[in-house]
Amino acid sequence: MTPEEQTTLLDALLDGEISEADFIRLEAELVVGAEVRQAYYKRLQMELLLEEAASEYKFELPAAVDRSERKAPDQISRGTLWLAGILVAIAAGLIAMVTILSNPGNDIDDVANSLTVDTEPSATGFAVLSGQSDAVWDGAPINSGALLPEGELHLVSGLVHVELFSGVQMVIQGDAIFSIDSPMQVSMRQGRARAHVPEPAHGFRLKTSGGEVVDLGTEFTIDVDQDQSNVNVVDGEVELRPLGAQAQRIQVGKGMRLAVDGTVTPSNGGEVDLVSPEAFQDALAKRQSRQFQSWQQSIQKLQQDPRLVAHYLVDPDEGWSRTLVNRASATNRTEIQSDVSVAGDGVAGDGAIVAAARTKDRWGRTGGALDFSPMGSRVRVVVPGQHRGLTMMCWVKINSLDRWYNSLFLTDGHEGREPHWQIMNDGRMFFSVKPPSNDGLTESELKQQVFYSQPFWDTSMSGQWMMLATVYDVDQKQVTHFVNGNPISIQAIPDKLLVDSIKIGAASVCNWSEPMYRTDATFVVRNLNGCVDEFAIFSGALSADEVSNLFLAGNPNEP
Amino acid sequence: MEPVENDRENHLGGDTAADDSVIVGLLTECQLPLRLYVRSLMHGDASAGDVIQQTNAKIWEKRGEFEPGTNFKAWAMSIARYEVLNHRKRQARDARLQFSSELEQTVASELAEMNDDLAERQAALRQCMEGLKPESRELLMRRYASQEPLAEFADRIGRSVGGVKVTLHRLRSTLAECIERRLLAAGESQ
Repeated sequence: MTPEEQTTLLDALLDGEISEADFIRLEAELVVGAEVRQAYYKRLQMELLLEEAASEYKFELPAAVDRSERKAPDQISRGTLWLAGILVAIAAGLIAMVTILSNPGNDIDDVANSLTVDTEPSATGFAVLSGQSDAVWDGAPINSGALLPEGELHLVSGLVHVELFSGVQMVIQGDAIFSIDSPMQVSMRQGRARAHVPEPAHGFRLKTSGGEVVDLGTEFTIDVDQDQSNVNVVDGEVELRPLGAQAQRIQVGKGMRLAVDGTVTPSNGGEVDLVSPEAFQDALAKRQSRQFQSWQQSIQKLQQDPRLVAHYLVDPDEGWSRTLVNRASATNRTEIQSDVSVAGDGVAGDGAIVAAARTKDRWGRTGGALDFSPMGSRVRVVVPGQHRGLTMMCWVKINSLDRWYNSLFLTDGHEGREPHWQIMNDGRMFFSVKPPSNDGLTESELKQQVFYSQPFWDTSMSGQWMMLATVYDVDQKQVTHFVNGNPISIQAIPDKLLVDSIKIGAASVCNWSEPMYRTDATFVVRNLNGCVDEFAIFSGALSADEVSNLFLAGNPNEP
Repeated sequence: MEPVENDRENHLGGDTAADDSVIVGLLTECQLPLRLYVRSLMHGDASAGDVIQQTNAKIWEKRGEFEPGTNFKAWAMSIARYEVLNHRKRQARDARLQFSSELEQTVASELAEMNDDLAERQAALRQCMEGLKPESRELLMRRYASQEPLAEFADRIGRSVGGVKVTLHRLRSTLAECIERRLLAAGESQ
């Protein structure tokens, strides 16, 4: 049977159009031919993917004649609906776990993620966590700058600053139990809060068990416990709407106590002692500047690390300079050369900035980061030496992953023993060191030279600074991807693909340069749509603790 | 079928049975091989989707019988096979177009072992679809959005069955080649 015949028969089989004679022929081929079966599985996979694509496809042209109603694919019979419910409920609890588990490309999260990439990007939430101070959440920590999840939130202790999409600013103090119901409504079961309500958000409601507080502008405080709520107006006016009783207004400087049964009594306890959102941000900025100082100190230490081959920081004071100075200590350069036990035998030169524009860094300093979104942006570097293992780290703010490949660090072209580090458009980190030779490697072995993480990024994280790192550990024979100091996937390097002497040479940060001999002006668009303010390369593998410490030292936010 | 999970939880309780969240995890993980397996046995049959759902329900129902530590995928596939056989019995389907049971078992074990690169395949397919002519893409998507037999579909879009068959075959081959090329390129030179 020719390959052409084989695919024709497979198509007929899957279309339900195959003749008995052809079926028998095909079955015989399937029984004896492992590669025929592989072809069948691939066709089946394509079939699933095409159906998936078709279910989301927006048709531009009307069908010539539309007589039949489309049947819903994979109709779920009545008796199994309850199962779907159970699966959804239990899966919700599993998601956190599943995303941590390093089983690349083999869990539903991955599949679900990949199958929804074609739809319009969306995110869920009504408010952003703008800042936090010693905040402890019941459950997973929430990063500053992240969307607050829907449903009830429990801030066990500490202070947070929440910005609702309506413009309402709230400072909430733990122990607090609350939910953001909409941009115009927050329910609070317990806790203390101060809300600043700008004019466009007048009518904002804060619900408690005894009734609700409607803000008529502009600032009030509230202290909720299980028996009562104390409301005090700092500025402007609020309306108190007790359950089953007449609404009443509270003027500036006045306070009311609202019991759970709806009774209202004047209180003279005064406003809750909580800072305003503005004062809170000032305090955070001071804190951040302390954090900044300690980061600067940690950097000085880091730059003495003999494994550090390149450390690029954008200096806000350098104005328009197109040189990105490598801060890896020059004094260590000689030590490294004389010390054979250290694999790296040189330090990278300074980088040359192309097209990338200066922008604010993660500390808020103007000109402290590079924005790689302008077309053609990159930093050209040359990294000498041979490296037994490699660690790459960068602080990055991603706007969107709109390219097929979104570059972090790529050597020119892609020769044997060279690393490529980038992010796929579905949010997975990609790292590979090409083996020196493909000889004797099968197609599927060749595919294993790429180490993908779980998807770690989606559009809800747009604009957030984060630290990415990948460690290629020759001794442990494994590749680990990190996000914000946490390992998100650990994969074994097959022996056949292990490269114990990595070379880099000419490379680009946040873009890919095709080999110099290319004279064709057409190029693929791979520059990162985002910003970077720190980039480091280490010769050898950093431990998970060391990566975690890099994050803790360099994290501008809490937690 | 009544939900009985509460009773079951109580009486399973101990170390012998896997806990429900573990089963959900395992079940989630093997959705792709399950889907592929049922589809491969029920080639060209639109009710494969129903059977996949029934299989999931049956696995859930029988979860107390799964022995932790043994191969969940293999166990799930055996239930899937049983469901397919059941379905055939109910439908009294033409038995001439069924794979031998030996082949069905080979397929089960190979699918259970297969690398899941669906995400990569999907990305590749998306790119490859961009390369098709808009009319071709429309036709292909219309075909996959419908569940009608090919003849009805051809009739609906006002084309001959033979013509549609040939066109679809060419498009699938083009896509299949393109996908493999891209996967290879992604593995090799990125």
